[in-house]
Amino acid sequence: MVALSVLFLLLSAQFVFVAQVIVYAGAVMVLFLFVIALMGPAKEIGRSRLRFQTSLSALFVLALFGLLWAMLQGVQYRQPEQTDLNAFGTVQWIGVYLFTNYLYPFELTSILLLVAAIGAIYLSRKEGDER
Amino acid sequence: MSGFSAGGSQLDTSWFLLLAAVLFILGTIGVLVRRNPLVILICIELMLNAANLTLVAFSRQLQNYEGQLFALMSMTVAAAEAVVGLAILVDIFRHRDAEDIDDLSELKG
Repeated sequence: MVALSVLFLLLSAQFVFVAQVIVYAGAVMVLFLFVIALMGPAKEIGRSRLRFQTSLSALFVLALFGLLWAMLQGVQYRQPEQTDLNAFGTVQWIGVYLFTNYLYPFELTSILLLVAAIGAIYLSRKEGDER
Repeated sequence: MSGFSAGGSQLDTSWFLLLAAVLFILGTIGVLVRRNPLVILICIELMLNAANLTLVAFSRQLQNYEGQLFALMSMTVAAAEAVVGLAILVDIFRHRDAEDIDDLSELKG
């Protein structure tokens, strides 16, 4: 995840880089670690209910990768609209667009985060806690 | 940052797209093969990250801001998804001992 965030920085997306570091490396991975610590180390059992699942999934994955590879061969890159490269991807620039053109989806994501927080609290409360 | 010549940028973007494809394939393998629900959730996060990388790479290629903004939106959606999925998992693990995703095949708790 951190390596991916460095790639974002390479693509001159500074704000996405910082958000990736904070959200993924900071929050989501720590959350996963807490849940793993809560449940104890998981042991992988080799049993699988579908008999040919591994070979079938290998076949499917190979087909998918071939499809993606074929799509990548045919990509025609359009010339960029020449905007100012100095301002590209900075926090100021992201903020301006986020609060003017994209205000509505921004508010929608805030509502989504609120709903997710309430749902997580509701799901992980103790039994018999409801009054 | 290096100069934005046409040939170099094409090469860069195609490499980033290839890396995103490989990451997505790794996530798919994890979802299909592994049996632990926690690992499957992590692999889903990996696939979402691959899609984010594609969005940002095209945003850079086209010098267009929409890709980065959409990547931010999908990042919040991924965080919300991780939180709710982990809460459901903790609830399931509290009720029964399920190490295999196939043990959770019935809807009625």
